[in-house]
Amino acid sequence: MSARYGMVIDLDRCTGCGACMVACAAENNVPPLPARATDRTGLTPMLVHKVNNGLEGAGRREAFIPIACMHCANETPCVSVCPQQAVEVDKATGIVMQIPQRCLGCRYCMTACPYHARYFNWWDPSWPPGMEKTLNPGVATRMRGVVEKCNLCHARLHTAMEKAAAEGKKEIEMTDYIPACVEACPTNAIQFGDLANPDDPASQAAHSPETFRLLARLGTEPKIYYKSRQPWVRALAERSASGHATEGQHV
Amino acid sequence: MKVSRRDLLLGTAGLTAGIFFTPVPWKVLDDVSIWTQNWAWIPQPPRGPVTTKLAACTLCPSGCSLRVRMAGGFPVGVSGSPAHPLTKGALCPLGFAAHQLNWHPARLQEVRHQGRAASWEEARSAFEKACAEGPIAIVDGRSGRAASIVLQSFAAKHKASYDALRNAEEKSLAPYAKWANVSVSSLGYDLENVRTIVSFGAPLLDGWGVPGRFTHLWAERAAGESDPQLRLIQIEPKLSRTASGAWRWIPICQGSEELLAASLASVLIEEHLVPAQGPVPPASVTDAASQTGLTPAAIRELARAIVDRKPVLCISDGESPAIAALNLLLGAVGTPGGILPKSGHPLPMPPASANDKPLRAVLIDSTVPWEYVAPEGAEAFRFAAWDGGGSRAEWLLPAPGFLEELSDLPSPPTCAVATYAVAPNLLSTSAQTKTAAEFLLQIDPTLPAIDQTIRARCEEIFRARRGTVHAAKPASIASFESAAKLEQALRDGGVWLDDPPAHSPLKCSLREWPGNSGNRAPANWATTWAQPVLPPLAAKLYQESSLRETPQRSQS
Amino acid sequence: MNRHVLAFAIGLVFALVAGWVVFPRVLYSHQQQPVDFPHKTHAAKSGNADCDGCHPFNSDGSFAGIPKNDTCAACHTDKLGTSPAEAKLVDDYLKTGTTTPWLVYSRQPANVWFSHAVHVKRAGLACADCHGALGTSDEKRLYEQDRISGYSRDIWGHSISRLRRAPHDGRTMSDCEDCHHKRHIEVGCFGCHQ
Repeated sequence: MSARYGMVIDLDRCTGCGACMVACAAENNVPPLPARATDRTGLTPMLVHKVNNGLEGAGRREAFIPIACMHCANETPCVSVCPQQAVEVDKATGIVMQIPQRCLGCRYCMTACPYHARYFNWWDPSWPPGMEKTLNPGVATRMRGVVEKCNLCHARLHTAMEKAAAEGKKEIEMTDYIPACVEACPTNAIQFGDLANPDDPASQAAHSPETFRLLARLGTEPKIYYKSRQPWVRALAERSASGHATEGQHV
Repeated sequence: MKVSRRDLLLGTAGLTAGIFFTPVPWKVLDDVSIWTQNWAWIPQPPRGPVTTKLAACTLCPSGCSLRVRMAGGFPVGVSGSPAHPLTKGALCPLGFAAHQLNWHPARLQEVRHQGRAASWEEARSAFEKACAEGPIAIVDGRSGRAASIVLQSFAAKHKASYDALRNAEEKSLAPYAKWANVSVSSLGYDLENVRTIVSFGAPLLDGWGVPGRFTHLWAERAAGESDPQLRLIQIEPKLSRTASGAWRWIPICQGSEELLAASLASVLIEEHLVPAQGPVPPASVTDAASQTGLTPAAIRELARAIVDRKPVLCISDGESPAIAALNLLLGAVGTPGGILPKSGHPLPMPPASANDKPLRAVLIDSTVPWEYVAPEGAEAFRFAAWDGGGSRAEWLLPAPGFLEELSDLPSPPTCAVATYAVAPNLLSTSAQTKTAAEFLLQIDPTLPAIDQTIRARCEEIFRARRGTVHAAKPASIASFESAAKLEQALRDGGVWLDDPPAHSPLKCSLREWPGNSGNRAPANWATTWAQPVLPPLAAKLYQESSLRETPQRSQS
Repeated sequence: MNRHVLAFAIGLVFALVAGWVVFPRVLYSHQQQPVDFPHKTHAAKSGNADCDGCHPFNSDGSFAGIPKNDTCAACHTDKLGTSPAEAKLVDDYLKTGTTTPWLVYSRQPANVWFSHAVHVKRAGLACADCHGALGTSDEKRLYEQDRISGYSRDIWGHSISRLRRAPHDGRTMSDCEDCHHKRHIEVGCFGCHQ
């Protein structure tokens, strides 16, 4: 198979509820961190940011931007810097695959990632006694000192591949491979699909003129697209795309 | 020949040289690196086949359907079930991590009496003694369940009072219930047919009502549209998530919602924007302007915008007679797109009984919010699965946790069409836990058992021949050969949805404009959750990110 | 011979003997399976020469692996014969409801994903291609466990140097890679990892 899995996130539909963040953490066996963790040391492979239009008072509006690994397709920054070759772009799926067990924790990739989408295990992952029995069998746990990030729920891709193999099919059914964040969203804001397949609705959405990508000027060719019909949200994104100064804006 | 030191050194040199020509250094290096990957303190995920079972969440009245992935008898993942006719697969953010709740460090493992461990026998004899000595009250946080019938029946038989607590959504329907003389649980909001919603602080996009129901409607009909099919007008002091997604956000000063509602009503009557006549609100636009912070022109414009696209419906956050009166004026009571009675509602509610004498004891069900405080002097028997700390209850009684209790799910408070489902107990609970209903059933086995009530309700639904059962595919009631088959379908994860109600008018009689009900502190995002603890992974939302503010538990 | 060379040579020989002979013996602990299970007898008695009678695929494509007690209890609700091994199975495990603690020769670390469905159903490999002719033997195979890494000797392979290996001896990552190279099937990291 040669797919290019990606997403189109409709920012007009995102209410900032955070269901995607929690579902992602549960699916990927992300541990609950000690009480002294903060938003700087947190471990949130899917993270929803809040942005605003810069106005105060009645004219103020806020929007929410879910950020996870963009699965950059071109000169992937984290891949190019890793001294361990612990991360690689999968030729078959386009997923940027991180193997935490190979990581030595130098955090060079965290510096390289323009989207701040990588997180470090500052503490030993631990769960209250008994809670480890509720971990997802499809995802290995990590240890302290390694970096992790969104892997496009590859455990669900594995399940879909097994099912396809059992049914004698060569390709998976897209209905069997739905990442946790996509499934969790109560407004269906996240559309997931194979961007290389012209019949896939996500691919069609990605090619529409309404969509844009964050920091597109860097040329990393992220596979997560965003769309919005609100002019101020587009303006904010275009500022990041074209490199204009973002004074006072919260991005 | 004597062995000299030089011999030894050379021998060691030979040993060292030789070792590199053996597998030892390479194998040991490889093995040690593997050993470092398997420290004993790195938890390993379970192995084994993963099966998916259908269940329902009982942590709030919404009763969302769940698909629970199980491995080795433990839940390893939770997602919504797209077959549920209201949620369509959505869950609240807390639901996705709820499968880990049962192992929360605050899980109540044993009966506790004033801080020390006790036994169920002691609790039972203390309760029976209290029943004999004086009036007791039974407090239910979610009435309408089969378990509630047990609590109600006990109260009726043993001359105790039964107190059904209402959450904010039910309270918003209370005025109509009072004016039409019907029960609160028989009413709902017909969101599917409305075109303008005026929400006075109700977090419609963030935790109000059944997850997914309104968010899907809003996403399809309003999100991102400058001229949406569904206009959401959010009136509240701060820019909440709902306000951010609304068509219009009207910021007003805290506590001025009812005055605004009254002045909007007076504008509607003055400018002949509504046909109905009713009690005239004693509020002028200038009064409201000074209290709300809006200009008189803005209030008039808002009144015109409200009636621009009908049907229009006002939703308050909590009980607000003034906002209910506005709805009455707008013709939103008893009409499509407004407040409707759920027809064929098969679950009768007896009224809460009143009691004047000071209470001897109070039995508090696990569905009651943790912040509830029993009246002074009453011995409190508090059922809960988790110990939120700071409870003044004399008895803490461990209740079953998530997915550990067989329960039925009556219609959620805000739905205009009746639903019914059964939440199975996927996980066995330890012998140490009991629900309040089980506790009372042990004291009085003649009370109606849970299974019995569920069967009776299924029979009633079957006889009424209305509605569809939503499982893998929707199936009309007519396709079920017997009530037993219907019951099995529900126990297997199906949800019964009634047919849309035939419009029976709701006759509300209101003589004069209601007074203001007073300031109510707005709810924090976590306060609709009755349990004293959040799932551990919820910390991603407020501690490990700045997406939400740290939840404050408040009295509500 | 020069005495110094002799001393060096003695050390060298000592190291070689320790490394090639003593080390493999000492590195691996020997454990017995909880029950002496005869594959050939079961294949014959159950009339099912294929492995999937007791090692089936589930409907979603996942592999059942080592049978749970239910599978054994389907026939062995009570003792069918007189062997002490069967008596141990029935008395100690089936009747008490304790999961039989089989020692799994092919156990891989948690971050390895091996899909039987993809290899058997899609690639068309036969069970014997990787597991050998287990069904034709009643051999009571010893479970040798590496004392340092904790994994079975089958993973590294029986040959301590990994030279002159028997076909399919060894299940390390390089063994998986060798087979994939031979068949020209390229997979990325997530093809085998999770």
